Amino acid sequence: MGVLSSVLTIARWEVKRSFTTLGRNVLPVAVVLFLLLMLATGFTARSGMHLQDGIYSLGIDDPGLSAILGGDARFRVFSGDSGTLRAYRGSYDLVIVEGAVLRPLSERGRAAEKTLERDYARYVSSVYNREQDLFAAYPLWIDLRAVKSELSFDATQSGQYLSLQQRSGESPVPEGTVAVVATPAPQLPVPEEALREGLMQEEGTPDQLRRYTGLFSQEPEYQNFRTPSQLSPPLPFDSIIFVFAFIFPLYFTSQFFMMSVMHERIERKGEVLLASPVAPSVIIAGKMLPYLLGMVGISTAVILAAGAPLTVLLPLFPVILFFLASALLIGMISRSFKELSFISIFFSTVATTYLFFPSIFAQVHVISLISPLTLIVLQLQGEGFTAGQYMYSTALFYLTSGVLFFAGTVNFNAERLFSELAFFPRVREFIAATLSRDHPFRSVFLANILLIPFIFMVQMMALVLFFNLPLPWSLLLLIGAAAFIEEFAKSIGVYTLFFEGDARPGIRTLVLASAATGAGFLVGEKLFLFAMLTQITDSVFGSVLFLQQGVLLLWLPLLLHITGVLAVSLVLRAGGKRWYLPGLLAATVIHGLYNLYFILGWMR
Amino acid sequence: MNARHITIIAKKEFQGLNHEKTILLAVLLQLFVAMFSSFLMVGLTSMYDPSSLSAATRVRYGIALVGANTTLDRYLGERADFQVYRMDLSTGIAALEERKLAAVIYVPPTPPDAREPVQVTLYTLQNDIQTAVVQVKLKEVLLEYEEDLREERRPRLSSTPLDVRFPAGQKTEGFYEFVYGLLIPLLVFMPAIIASSLIIDMITEEYQHNTLETLVSTPVSFAEVVWGKVLACELLVPVQAGAWLLLLAINGIRVENPLPVLFLVSLSSLALILLSALTALHYRERTAAQFIYSTALVVVILVVIAIPGNPLNVIVRAVTGSPGMDLAGTLAIVGIGAMALGYVTHRYAERIGRLAQLGT
Repeated sequence: MGVLSSVLTIARWEVKRSFTTLGRNVLPVAVVLFLLLMLATGFTARSGMHLQDGIYSLGIDDPGLSAILGGDARFRVFSGDSGTLRAYRGSYDLVIVEGAVLRPLSERGRAAEKTLERDYARYVSSVYNREQDLFAAYPLWIDLRAVKSELSFDATQSGQYLSLQQRSGESPVPEGTVAVVATPAPQLPVPEEALREGLMQEEGTPDQLRRYTGLFSQEPEYQNFRTPSQLSPPLPFDSIIFVFAFIFPLYFTSQFFMMSVMHERIERKGEVLLASPVAPSVIIAGKMLPYLLGMVGISTAVILAAGAPLTVLLPLFPVILFFLASALLIGMISRSFKELSFISIFFSTVATTYLFFPSIFAQVHVISLISPLTLIVLQLQGEGFTAGQYMYSTALFYLTSGVLFFAGTVNFNAERLFSELAFFPRVREFIAATLSRDHPFRSVFLANILLIPFIFMVQMMALVLFFNLPLPWSLLLLIGAAAFIEEFAKSIGVYTLFFEGDARPGIRTLVLASAATGAGFLVGEKLFLFAMLTQITDSVFGSVLFLQQGVLLLWLPLLLHITGVLAVSLVLRAGGKRWYLPGLLAATVIHGLYNLYFILGWMR
Repeated sequence: MNARHITIIAKKEFQGLNHEKTILLAVLLQLFVAMFSSFLMVGLTSMYDPSSLSAATRVRYGIALVGANTTLDRYLGERADFQVYRMDLSTGIAALEERKLAAVIYVPPTPPDAREPVQVTLYTLQNDIQTAVVQVKLKEVLLEYEEDLREERRPRLSSTPLDVRFPAGQKTEGFYEFVYGLLIPLLVFMPAIIASSLIIDMITEEYQHNTLETLVSTPVSFAEVVWGKVLACELLVPVQAGAWLLLLAINGIRVENPLPVLFLVSLSSLALILLSALTALHYRERTAAQFIYSTALVVVILVVIAIPGNPLNVIVRAVTGSPGMDLAGTLAIVGIGAMALGYVTHRYAERIGRLAQLGT
């Protein structure tokens, strides 16, 4: 009970403090700015985005046509007679003579042609939309039906998509059972006027905008029926909207927490709080509580405003925790406001990338599930997600937040908070504080277990980055990146604990430390893999990262992990700190060759 | 105002940045974004145009055609990128689920000149990037078929739209408008936004660490301190924006008029930096200043983008080399704006400096 009430007290102080710093001057201005923001949004929506005005030049000989096509601000329209236009064709991006578009000569011309084609199609449909007999103007309607099929990692193993056929006359035969599908009814179930209304509505709004506004709200029934010209390819950029709608406010709010942590360190203001008889964990929990509640509240508001189901909150929660944990550490580590800004911008870019890129491939590939954002996409599409999928995509966020909070709590003391060291020594100090000097081998062992979720996060990012590339490049790059990440992570513990200052540990100590590191790494990896990620580990990409196939014995990977760290530490011992990077690269080469040997052997 | 004092302050700020290695982070960030976007481009182009992946093997998408015989059969058969199979519906869909086909098309027995429309059912894989490719290709075929049907029903139409014929031939999915019309203006303005948030940090730091009194007691005036910080931030902009243009060039994206673009970006960001310096001078506390400034920035960007001929548009036209842009006029307007903001900032800083010396 005592702990809870102290948490609440500190939370109350925190709210009071942030209101006094923001209070008087800021609130009225913020209200005015908010009103201005609404006005500006309205203004921009009315006047449109004038970003790409006049990038293309268009020569037309027919004044009637130029009146119709000139409405697009992207074109600068010039009129002239057909002879001159033909002669000076090179000075325009695109030329229309006697109703025919001349083949464009430049890259910009080809882009202009695409834009013009879209504009022309819009004009043609605006004429047809007003036809009395709608089905004479639009004689063909397409009923789009989506069939679900999730690509497993096996499909990309050959580096090709399965449905790309070679030239052959034989029809494909399904391997599984054939479910009977009813022949679709030949009649449109939607009345003519509803279809016309849909067509008319579309006239005003460009494709892109409609897609985004339609994302949240349920699409009306007629949307499933399209004319051929309405078939627009589903661009894979939808998820960026979710980043803006859900993640951006979270990032913004976490900035306040970051600043509040930093605030305690300015001019040693936090000393009073540290002197009070409560544990650091209680102080952190108390300071964080208002922000946690605020972020959950904001997310709920966004979800309700978007009309999305409240279950979307579930995948957002670990993201909130992760943002708060990182904000805590960033606020504790950076020494000045500038550093705070840069580190937080850097962090937010990396985090956004991690969240955004995989979700582009939502439903295309199981890899997309490593981002909780994908769960949001799935939920909004009305499919929902299973508990297993939830585990799979959020476990890394829960685990890393936990480790970050632990590191923050351990370091939340006067010595660390008010230290004046430079950035890298400070980071090293933070890590060293989590390790115990009295039990060096045990703490190296444990530290490596705790590092595993971070390693997986970075490796996942490398996977997302490289899996787009064709084989074998994707595989080779991934092998190199994965080996480097692992060797770097493993060396952290040994480096911080045994090479402090000018220390030069004995060979025996280093062998023991390397053994502890390797063992910790292996145990952590196995524990983690056991719990999840079976989908990825079964694939060829998975075997690069986690090397499961072909190596059934545990001693071989153990030996590899030990050799890697030992190589780094021996180089460090012989050459000093300047040799850290070469040592790391040497270990990476050893590790990479080992992986390559086993993967190639396994593939053969 | 003493130019030497200003450069001393600017130098001090640079030393601070250098000492903290924050510059290193900024460079890393830039490389990271550049790397990711170029990988994304490689990924997207290879998925939109699978033939670029496997140039030797002829890529064909398997399509199952079910139902009535129409001209659609012929159009599909003529295409080199489709392999058409006549199948029954259930088998076709089962094969589609196993990804042995790219699409299944059902054509009803509706006669072409019927009163009601021909309703074709198109089965594709849900939310698949490959589906996007297939749909684009099928759209061309379906448009041909639609034109045939429309011709049959032509007598029932009351008007015909003006005709424009486009040159025939393969069209590749280009990213021209995306790269030049959106990516480049965003990238070159990113340093401006970073620099303007940097000056808030520099100014509020003096207040919150109580170093202002020490500074004012030196021969350097407070206005000079502010200008020195502005100078330090301003110098970062063309360097970073220039680095972007260089990285783009390495990626094979050629940019016209690089120098005028850099000049315009620097001048616009000077206006932004002065605006945020004013905010910081007013609030003297980082959280409040950053909050107000970033909200105000969104408002400013929204309004600016809605005005025809705005600086961002001028940059887009300059990098694409589109003639007829009013670069000089825009530079003049932005320059006058920056000068006005500079004057206000100067007077404001002078006043604060006087008050600080009086000890209030």
